[in-house]
Amino acid sequence: MTDVWVAGAGMTRIGRRNEPLQDLMAEAALNALAAAGLEQPDAVVVATMNPEEFVGDGNFASSVASYLGLAEVPAMRVETATSSGAAAFYAGFVQIAAGQRRTVLVVGGEKMTHLPTPKVSELIGRSIDAHERSYGATMPALAGLITRALIARQGLTLREMAQVSVKNHANGARNPCAHFREPVTLDEVLNSRMVADPLRLLHCCPISDGAAAVVLTAERAAVRVAGIGQGTDTLAVRHRHDLVSFRATQAAAHEAFAMAGFGPERVDFAELHDAFAPFELIALEDIGLVPPGKAGHVTLDGETALDGRLPINPSGGLKARGHPLAATGIAQIVECVWQLTGQAEGRQLGGRVALAHSIGGLATNNWITLLEGA
Amino acid sequence: MIETIAASRCPRCGEMVAPPATYCPRHPVRMVPARLPGVGEVVSFTTLHSPPEGFKSPLHLALVELEGGARFFCHGSQTRGLKVGATVAIEAIDDVYYFSHLGALDRARLFWRRAGRAGDRVNAMTRSVVKRMWKGRSSG
Repeated sequence: MTDVWVAGAGMTRIGRRNEPLQDLMAEAALNALAAAGLEQPDAVVVATMNPEEFVGDGNFASSVASYLGLAEVPAMRVETATSSGAAAFYAGFVQIAAGQRRTVLVVGGEKMTHLPTPKVSELIGRSIDAHERSYGATMPALAGLITRALIARQGLTLREMAQVSVKNHANGARNPCAHFREPVTLDEVLNSRMVADPLRLLHCCPISDGAAAVVLTAERAAVRVAGIGQGTDTLAVRHRHDLVSFRATQAAAHEAFAMAGFGPERVDFAELHDAFAPFELIALEDIGLVPPGKAGHVTLDGETALDGRLPINPSGGLKARGHPLAATGIAQIVECVWQLTGQAEGRQLGGRVALAHSIGGLATNNWITLLEGA
Repeated sequence: MIETIAASRCPRCGEMVAPPATYCPRHPVRMVPARLPGVGEVVSFTTLHSPPEGFKSPLHLALVELEGGARFFCHGSQTRGLKVGATVAIEAIDDVYYFSHLGALDRARLFWRRAGRAGDRVNAMTRSVVKRMWKGRSSG
């Protein structure tokens, strides 16, 4: 298997954007291509979760490639719900690892803020099992069930969960690409509007527009893809035996670390999928970054803060950087690459090994990507 | 006497799911029909303050592990006083399953709210008599 390297990374500012989705994806793609010093890749992989309904366009790999002036470059689209970006990264990775391509552009994006919030929730909710949806289950509803189970079974506290939001907003305030650049206090999180009891508004990520891209190459570059793992689980949450951990994350981590040939103790910092604040705590333990039962303590103790032992979500995470669905998995990798190459001005970390964790649906299709700096 | 709920069992691994499914979630094997008692333990619950279109706010949702193994989604009239691990009964009203951990008064309220629509009144009244009968028996 050929080693695969990240030659360039780029993204748009995330938030409420007026440009068409193709324009946002072109901006991210051209930034990544420029950073890689490349004009035309051998192939393009596009990630969008639902452009048919969010923006009304289909055939989206060709749409983006044509818009970008890459109409004659082979392009395809990859979709695994909210982890589509990470899946697209994998699809680009295997093309190079197999020796079929030398350079692949991976670009993900989503545009949602032009639609009313209930419509966006409904469209995102279609990735939930149909029977559970017929009972009114939405992503926040299922996350609310998980959160209450975490409190009852694992002894996690609302304060520990709220601290995830506080930390990620503090990080987002240092990231020029972030959707939210204002810090929030523990009290503000704990007193924000109730969404799905006991989850409150400031435990939840926003609805965002944006795009992110990376260029993968077979030529040696500053960042190597050390491991990728995918893990899956039942679409229906009721078909699982456990609410307080995600089998899909555990399986993805196992596969990624096996490929990399090292364990979680080598990870210096991570971007974790905090669509809901408690998910960051679940991921810390599922991946093995902290021992079982410790995620809440290490968060309150500041170990996962920017200046802590194991910084988590230096970009601000989904909570503050924002969550333009299929862009997110790639935006996490962009942050890791920027951190590993000294380009994360204002929030620069040390360290050589970065981990990105992306959740698809309600943890039905998750990915772990391990990156190693030179 | 307790209501039973239609379910499916995997002939390979014994996994139970409700409502019925064609294939086992963990094996590409056809499931066989089964029934489970409408009683179980609350795995978790939430109250949704901005439910999707077509649902009244607040929407009380619970995930209940039925005796016999399957986990099951249901609605409730409220969740005050409810705890993870509590035992609840589940019954269908107009094909929607509700959990009830509460007193007769709450059950009556829930029933009358659902029976409020004139078209459903007669059906619901008939059902109400049946429910009161089984409730009388199970508590007696």
